[in-house]
Amino acid sequence: MVIKAVWIIVLPIIAFIIGVFFLGLSRKVIARIHRRYGPPIYQPVIDLIKLMNQKSISHGRLFDMGVILSLAGSIVLVLFIPFGGIAPLSGSGDFLVVLYLMLLAPLGVALSGGEGANPNISIGISRKMMLSLGYEVPLLFSILAVMTYYKTTSLVEITKAQQHLSWGVIYLPLPAIAYFMILPAMLGIRPFDIVSAPQEISSGPSVEYGGRYLALMTVEHAFHTFIVLALFVDLFLGGGNPFTFFVKMLVVFLLGLFIHAVFPRFRIDQAIKYCWKWPSILALAGLVIAYVVA
Amino acid sequence: MDRTSIKKWFKAPDKMGHKYSLWAVYFCTGCGIIEVPPVITSRWDAERFGVIPVATPRQANLFLITGYVSLKTLKAIIRTYELMPDPKYTVGFGSCPINGGMYWDSYNTIKHLDKYIPVDGWISGCMPRPEAIFIAVTHLWTMIDKGMATGYIKYREKYRYYRQNQEKLFGKLEWPPLYPMEDKNG
Repeated sequence: MVIKAVWIIVLPIIAFIIGVFFLGLSRKVIARIHRRYGPPIYQPVIDLIKLMNQKSISHGRLFDMGVILSLAGSIVLVLFIPFGGIAPLSGSGDFLVVLYLMLLAPLGVALSGGEGANPNISIGISRKMMLSLGYEVPLLFSILAVMTYYKTTSLVEITKAQQHLSWGVIYLPLPAIAYFMILPAMLGIRPFDIVSAPQEISSGPSVEYGGRYLALMTVEHAFHTFIVLALFVDLFLGGGNPFTFFVKMLVVFLLGLFIHAVFPRFRIDQAIKYCWKWPSILALAGLVIAYVVA
Repeated sequence: MDRTSIKKWFKAPDKMGHKYSLWAVYFCTGCGIIEVPPVITSRWDAERFGVIPVATPRQANLFLITGYVSLKTLKAIIRTYELMPDPKYTVGFGSCPINGGMYWDSYNTIKHLDKYIPVDGWISGCMPRPEAIFIAVTHLWTMIDKGMATGYIKYREKYRYYRQNQEKLFGKLEWPPLYPMEDKNG
């Protein structure tokens, strides 16, 4: 019981450190691909310290609450996703809880953005909702395939069934490929950074955030990166102990980053067409195969 | 560069944060903006000093006035400057914001930018080379370190002076005053 309570406090801190490390790493790796020297790897920490010390402007109570709701949703989500076998709040149906809780973060941003009353926010929010409409179809198909194959709705059980190199990606290759194809859309990186497109809509939902609000949003983004990658590793790459788990997350993140560094941005209609076409077909085929095999 | 000195980070984290994370609002006022794309991309990579462009004034704390300032642009500059969160730093880039430059007798550009918004530093030249931006940034670091980059405090304290100058140029402004107009030393 005590150990569980300790993990409830420690796990978000680990997730925060890993997420911020990934943010810094992404800036460095992208710079090196662009043949630049790039910022130091701790640059996001400097940015966070600066943002916390800036004067920030509020647009109303909902504007504050939405940001906090978004961050809280992400922190709770971290407790449900097993990190190297550690999942303090796991229960029998925690996978379904995860699916519901994943909606909290965008919902918080939408609530907060509505108070900001900037047209760029409205466009950004509508793009975010459209994009999640796009990627949730293949995501749900591939998750259903995993649930059908392992006959459980518990993430811990799914991870346990993949011990000794019998990874999910070997038995369920099609859903794994589909999940990887929509990974940039879930992380909000190119070619799917239509939500925060700085050149088109002035960084979208975060256009009115400055100072502490932006700091909280950056932390939320770090948590979100952690969650999406951890879910992929849990479902298809077999979990492992915390160290191997981190290495697997790093590999998946770098693969996504290489796509991010060289590709331009999709239009919103192209993004949805893409999401509903190839990843959906692959995930649906994977679901049928999993149903037949299992 | 004392970015790696842990002692200073613990002593004055706010100052160090403002120094090594200057986010410039990407706002093109004139021809000088042509020097900014090389600065932020591969050739002169400003990101290694923590300088990145951001698309919205709410997130920015560095304002580069690049090139001549026409009357229409000045209105946008004032609004952008007032939207930026404190502390904020302004740098005039090129000779036109300093004294009008080659537009010294133009009817439609302003000659002295620091009458309308406070400016923390100037880069002279027409055009300054991209390296000049880095020199300006390192100077700005020194100024922040010594507490000399106080343009945003000056704007609050002498708001009446700036507002009067702005209103002399535009007539009545469409937005309310940012700070109360009655002040100590006008």
